[in-house]
This record gives sequence, C-alpha cells and structure tokens, in this order.
Amino acid sequence: MKIVTKAENLDNHKKYIFILKLIDDFLQKKDYQKIDLPVLSPALIPESYLEVFETEFKFLDKKEKLYLTPSPELFLKRLLAYKIGNCYYLGKSFRNSDPPSSLHSFEFTMLEFYKVNADYMNIADEVLEMLRYINKKVKIHPPIRRAKIKSDLGLKINLDKWEKISVAEAFEKYTGIYEKELFNHQLFLEKAKKKGYQVEKFSYKDVWSQIYVQEIEPHLGKNGYPTLIYDYPKEFAALAKLNSDGQTAQRFEFYINGVELGDCYTELSDWKEQKDRFIKEYLERKQNKKINHPIDKGFIQALKYGFPESAGIAIGVERLAAVFLNLNSINELKVINIE
Amino acid sequence: MRINAGNLKKGDFIHYQNEIWQVQKAEFYSPGKGSALMKTKIWNVKSGKNIDVTFKSVEEVEVVDVESRLMTFLYKDNENLYFMDEKTFNQYPVLLSSVSGLEKYLKEGDKLYVYIYDERPLSVRAPLSVRLKVVEAEEAVKGDTVSGAKKPVKLETGAVIMAPLFIKVGDVVIVNPETGEYTGREGK
Repeated sequence: MKIVTKAENLDNHKKYIFILKLIDDFLQKKDYQKIDLPVLSPALIPESYLEVFETEFKFLDKKEKLYLTPSPELFLKRLLAYKIGNCYYLGKSFRNSDPPSSLHSFEFTMLEFYKVNADYMNIADEVLEMLRYINKKVKIHPPIRRAKIKSDLGLKINLDKWEKISVAEAFEKYTGIYEKELFNHQLFLEKAKKKGYQVEKFSYKDVWSQIYVQEIEPHLGKNGYPTLIYDYPKEFAALAKLNSDGQTAQRFEFYINGVELGDCYTELSDWKEQKDRFIKEYLERKQNKKINHPIDKGFIQALKYGFPESAGIAIGVERLAAVFLNLNSINELKVINIE
Repeated sequence: MRINAGNLKKGDFIHYQNEIWQVQKAEFYSPGKGSALMKTKIWNVKSGKNIDVTFKSVEEVEVVDVESRLMTFLYKDNENLYFMDEKTFNQYPVLLSSVSGLEKYLKEGDKLYVYIYDERPLSVRAPLSVRLKVVEAEEAVKGDTVSGAKKPVKLETGAVIMAPLFIKVGDVVIVNPETGEYTGREGK
C-alpha cells in the first residue's frame, strides 16, 4: 500500500466536508447530542462476519491489546443506558480484511445515531428528513452550484417518501423464493441449489447473502424513490429486536441506486438474549478463525442496568456523499488516500 | 485449476454453467450480513454477452488456461471470422457472434490476439483502437461551426461511424472498435 495525494479531488472534498456539516446541523437542530468517542478499545462487540484491526499499547514492560472500533455502537449504547437521550457519533470506524473498492475502505466515516422511545420506522422518518435537508442545501449552496454538479439525486430520486418493501416481499418479487422457503433453512438451500448456487459446505446465511446481493440489491433504490428494505430473518438480527412473528428482526437497510447506505435496528434491550447472541457470534468468530478479541462484558452490564427503548442507525457517510455528488467511487472524495 | 472466487481477477477465464467466460471486473464485497462475496462481471466468449455474477469469496471456481495467440485476420463469411497462426499456418474460425460487432472494423491482414482453449479458438481480444481510411464523407458546409457537430462517414471496411465535420475522404481515422466511436484523426 502507498499514500496517494489527490489534490485534484479538492472540489469534491470540499462538498463532502460541507455534507458532514449539514449532518451535524440537522441532528443538532433536532436535539441529538454529538459525542466524541475513542476509536481504540480493549474489548468489542463480537460480530461474526467482521474482522477487526488489532494493535498494542506499550509502556515499559506493560503491554495491552487494543482494537480499532468497527462501529461506535458499544460506547453509544452504554451512554444510552445512562439515560443521556438522543445522541450521535460522526467519525471514523475501521473494518479489516475488506480490500478497498469503489464503495468500501477499511477506514471510513460513519454516522451512527440513536433515538430513545423510538423504533426502526421512527428512524426511517428521521433519515428521510435528513436526506431531504442535505439535498436541499447541497443544491443551493453556492460552491456546489458553481461547480455545475449533476444532481442526479434531485432529478432521478424523489425524496418525498420511501419505497418500502419487506425482505420476504423482495425475495418473492425478485428471486421467486417464497416466504415459506425463505425462513426454512432446508427448503431455502434446496431452492438455491435448484437456482444453480453452490450450497454444499455453505451455511444458510452465506447462501442467503449471496442471493440477496446477486438478485435483490441491484433493484433497490432504482424505482424513483430511495428503497427501505425491512424485517430481515432472525439469523441477521445482530443487535436488533425480534418481531412478534419470531422469525424476523426489526432491522432495515436503505438503498439509493443499488447502493446500501444505512443499516438500522430497533435495539434489543433484553440483556439475557443479547448475552446468548454474543456467545453465538463469539463461537462463530472462533470457527471462522477471526481475531480473538475480548467481548465487551460492560455492554451486557449496561443493558442490565436499564436500557431505554430505542432505535439506531449506522450510515456510511462517504457513500452517502458520493451518491449526492453523483460520483462513481468514494475515492473521488478523497485528497489523501491509502491505496 | 480450482481457486477461491475471492482470488479472481480481471482477465481470468472461468468455467461457469458449462460455458467459458472471461472476468471483466471483480470486486470484493462485504455486505455486513453473511460472509464476504466477490461481485464480478463476466463475458461469455461464445455469445459475447456480459452478466453480473456474485460468488461467495470462498466458493471454488474453475479457472481455465486460455492462451492468447497473435494471428492474422484472413476473411469472414456469414458465420465466422478466419484467422491464421503465422507460425504453424493453421487456420482458425472464430464465431461472429463472439466478437460483438468487432468484424465491422477489421481488414484483411490485421494482426489480433485470438483466445485459444484446448486448441479451439474461443474469441478475439478487441484492440483498443483501429486506424481506418474514410472512403465516403459529405463535404463540410462552410460556416457550419457548431462545435461538436458530427456527420456519418463510411470507412474502408464498410462500417459507418459518426465523425467531426472536418473529416474528409482519404483521412485516416482512429476508432474504438468496441463502441464504434471516433477518437481521433491520424496526423498527416
């Protein structure tokens, strides 16, 4: 890898910095408290499919392992348990083992915000309002207008409402896999095999995610509105609350032009269930030979202490900016890039 | 040879659904739910069709050893283009359907790389540009100065492309044979 200077991207970079400011303005106007957080932590939330960066703190003969945070979730949720109310983090997060691409960098800027006494659909309303706010300001802000930006978003995507589709509806519509097959591992894998996918030696989650990316994602956010796809199978619940049907979780993702921009949960507040999921994820990490970082036990303690009903979302800000600025890659926003 | 799809790169040839394809684009993708994936765009060497295929990054894919051999274009008929290997003088027919219109810009004697697998010709690697003489073009009307205006011109191979108004009969133009776009004029 090397350090690449791209001063020619300064114009795009300025617009990106402006969008960061718009996000701050919007959330602060709505009384979300901005929080600055560490990016190095001695323990993390175990997430089976994420790899982390490991480093070491050294002082004389003392050594301690530290990990770059793949998301600010573990910190913000502690604070929620301390009843600080609506809050957000806008800053760097780190994910290892993903080679850089047009949509991904191992170091990226994340917006994560939480709203108390809310569920995932309340967050959806908030996000849509934020998108409209950014779109309006990006269009009227003089430097951007002067730069003759092709505002595809304004022209092609209407931000008046979401196109809402449940995961089950999307599978039926775009893949021909029906609800009863979608939630039954055996039926699902049989159907996938018939469709020509390799299923031997692979888990439900692996094949599910392959079909989702191959057959569903390309359609999302392309029907004139941003798409909100919701209620994922419980296997993808992560830290989200389950629906009363017992088979789906209150999780949504949103897309513009086939690009995933955000991931939202109604937060699971039951500490016992969270602990069980942690153990499961921890074992999966071990099985997948991921870095064996300590589990953040304080997080479970915080849930025990009394976690408010709440919902939160994580948004990839470079992706969001690239969509608003009509760029092909997040790299076009950067003046210094590690490639 | 079988490799993990995560190691696929542009230019590789693979067996997929009983056909041979060339990887045009391969991008690692971690969707945050389920394992990492490899998003690819692959090109069917027979039909010339492009499709998007998502592989699991640890799924095995059969990579085939395809050779690209420099050959001379001889002639074409309704089904094939015929090439000759100058070392062995062997002739190879390549299906017209696999070259997606490239034949319109080829003339006898052109040297191109032909993809060979198991001694069978699969397709032709399109050159980045071809240089062809203009054989028919309307005279530019004086005073017509609309910048970027274009007119159709006929090339020595019979292909018709859109070129700037100043192009005359006898000029040699540079064309992208994959898109049929005019990219420049050869200096005199």
